[in-house]
Amino acid sequence: MSTTTSTAPGVGRDDLARLAEHWAEPRSLRAWFTTVDHKKIGRRYLVTAAFFFVLAGLSALVMRTQLARPESGVVSPQEYNQIFTMHGTAMIFLFATPMLFGFGNFLVPLMIGSRDMAFPRLNAFGYWVFLFAGLFMWASLPFGAAPNNGWFAYAPLNQVQHNPGLHMDVYALGLLFLGISTTSGAINFIVTALKLRAPGMSLNRVPLFVWAIVATAFMVVFALPALNADNTMLFLDRRFGTHFFDPSGGGNVLLWQHLFWIFGHPDVYIIVLSALGIVSAVLPAFTRRGVVAYSLIVLSIVAIAIISFGVWVHHMFATGLPQLSYSFFSAASTVITIPSGIQIFAWLATMLLGRLVLRVPLLFVIGFIVTFVLGGLTGAMFAVTAFDQQVTDSYFVVAHFHYVLIGGAVFPMLAGIYYWLPKITGRMYHEGLGRWAFWLTFAGMHVTFFPMHLTGLFGMPRRVYTYRSEPGWDGWNLVSTVGSYLLALGLLLVLVGVVHALRRGRPAPADPWEGDSLEWSTASPPEPYNFPVIPRVHSLHPAWDARTAESTTTGATAERVLSDGRRTLFTSELDARTERAVDMPESSFKPLVLAGALLVFFTAMLLAAYPVAVVAALVVAATIAAWLWPPRRPDEELGVAS
Amino acid sequence: MTTGPGPHTRLAGGLLLWYGVLGGAVAWAAHLLVAWPLDELTCAAGREHVSAVPLWLAVWLAVVIPGVVTVGSLLVATLVWRRTARASSAGAEDRAVDRSRMLAVVGVWANLLFLTIIVLGGVAVLVFPPCQG
Repeated sequence: MSTTTSTAPGVGRDDLARLAEHWAEPRSLRAWFTTVDHKKIGRRYLVTAAFFFVLAGLSALVMRTQLARPESGVVSPQEYNQIFTMHGTAMIFLFATPMLFGFGNFLVPLMIGSRDMAFPRLNAFGYWVFLFAGLFMWASLPFGAAPNNGWFAYAPLNQVQHNPGLHMDVYALGLLFLGISTTSGAINFIVTALKLRAPGMSLNRVPLFVWAIVATAFMVVFALPALNADNTMLFLDRRFGTHFFDPSGGGNVLLWQHLFWIFGHPDVYIIVLSALGIVSAVLPAFTRRGVVAYSLIVLSIVAIAIISFGVWVHHMFATGLPQLSYSFFSAASTVITIPSGIQIFAWLATMLLGRLVLRVPLLFVIGFIVTFVLGGLTGAMFAVTAFDQQVTDSYFVVAHFHYVLIGGAVFPMLAGIYYWLPKITGRMYHEGLGRWAFWLTFAGMHVTFFPMHLTGLFGMPRRVYTYRSEPGWDGWNLVSTVGSYLLALGLLLVLVGVVHALRRGRPAPADPWEGDSLEWSTASPPEPYNFPVIPRVHSLHPAWDARTAESTTTGATAERVLSDGRRTLFTSELDARTERAVDMPESSFKPLVLAGALLVFFTAMLLAAYPVAVVAALVVAATIAAWLWPPRRPDEELGVAS
Repeated sequence: MTTGPGPHTRLAGGLLLWYGVLGGAVAWAAHLLVAWPLDELTCAAGREHVSAVPLWLAVWLAVVIPGVVTVGSLLVATLVWRRTARASSAGAEDRAVDRSRMLAVVGVWANLLFLTIIVLGGVAVLVFPPCQG
């Protein structure tokens, strides 16, 4: 892989040599397992999430093949239940959120002018937990023990008397395990964005992508405990005979739905908000102007993050609650379209006022706008209780959320992949291949999911294993299946494009797109220390700003070169005033060991090997103690825990 | 020579600014968490009164009080926005003023949104009997 580097005139060769020495990680197997570099961890998140995406996509193809014809027998009902559950669970938990965490990990420190995340070892730990939790869940499928109750796992069907075997134990434990990764990642993003911004990057100069990631991280911190509580109670019900969701023992089945959707609805926005952040990051480079209405977009991000917590009951409009109480949730669900709409109009205005450069990332952004708006329209329809009660649990819902999630998350992610590929790999992608990938993906998506609106309106329930031909669903289902193969072909071309870029792409310059944010002012791919000089930010578009560029050259100062160790700069939360330099941790095996011990713990719990679980818990405790043990440098101030 | 505001004034100003930014969000959250369970739980228990207060009145109060708090928050945000706009147009280059102005803009729009939600949700109190299934 080639590297394009530029030496900042404001920093001497000695400084660069010292920086390279302090931040270097040797190319060895040991270094591979111990790295804490946010860029490597970000790349791993992206690759691993893409791997789980492929598995979930293959599951979708099996489902669509089964549903292509009426009364088909490609898979058994039991296999179908496991496949559709793993498809949904993996797409939501193992692909969408981790993929965005991958972008965040790679980009947030670069965009805010920092040298790493606030807690690099916690970052590495989060990745290993994500990998192990994903493998933990997928490994159950070949054994016929995968979750089989839908990604929302409604009670009472998730109870052991209705669903014996390990299926839902894998679900509960797998998501609890994965939750550790998501929570640690979210906390890391919050602290990084609040404390490690380059001097001068006050709140009104923070890139919109970073705003989106931070809002998402706050949402994760507040939403995930509800899911964790739900899964803990589920596991206790199934394994130890409690009755949280069992009405015969005084429990309540609706409690599952309330807790699940208190997490689940914000989760939709956890996925979509960060993806919208990608759109706001991509647009300036291909419109040659800053995104219109920066403050309003920030407002939209914050408003969506808050309102998304007050709409969960719109998933429960068919559960028989009093109509007056529906109105509170119906109102919030309707009004959330306003901040979403503000962002859409701001992007349209940006494109209208800018000079469009129609490259592949912009094509995906346009595809996103078309698809997401359609998904948003049906979403507004669902906010109307009477309509929701007519189509709930039909294929209309399936069509809606695929429009929202593929339109609102996958297309922006694909735009982001093409946009940042030169920065991540140091190689340019093939434009022609990218265009083919876009058109196939776009056409495939709409051919697959638009007919589902119709089959839903014709009464086809979701989650059905097969159907008879009388209702007239077969033609539309065949169209959907053909579309799904088209979509798969488009996504395969994306993969081919990435491999092609890695092997044969021409070397990328530092800033191939004339982007506006700080990541474009450093090498492609960036050096381990990211910036030879931590910049001083003077505007919302630092890469277009001469004074910011000058701050890293003739204006470089020793306090922003920081070449005396593995160090970065702490700044104040609101105004990003310089506070002090802080030491960053070296590579370590502890994150891997801790994640491995947790894997053993959760596997032992699953298999009811409780003595092994106790031993694993002791290893977890010992590793945490070793991790937190004070370093042998009491005279030196260490600003960042790790 | 001008003297800056004292610590108490600064604290009061800061708290007012945050009330202007987040008041509507907090009021709406309180509205949701009071009005909805009040209706659900009282109806589920088969009653139409909460401690001798008719349920419709209790829910109505759970709409009106947060609504008033949000209107107050909107007024504060508007005031901050006007004052900071004046300071900016006078040519003062102060990052704190810039930041306050941005937060005020966020406050104005957010409060309008949250007021809309409270009003839209609250209209149903006038239309539906509290326990209609």
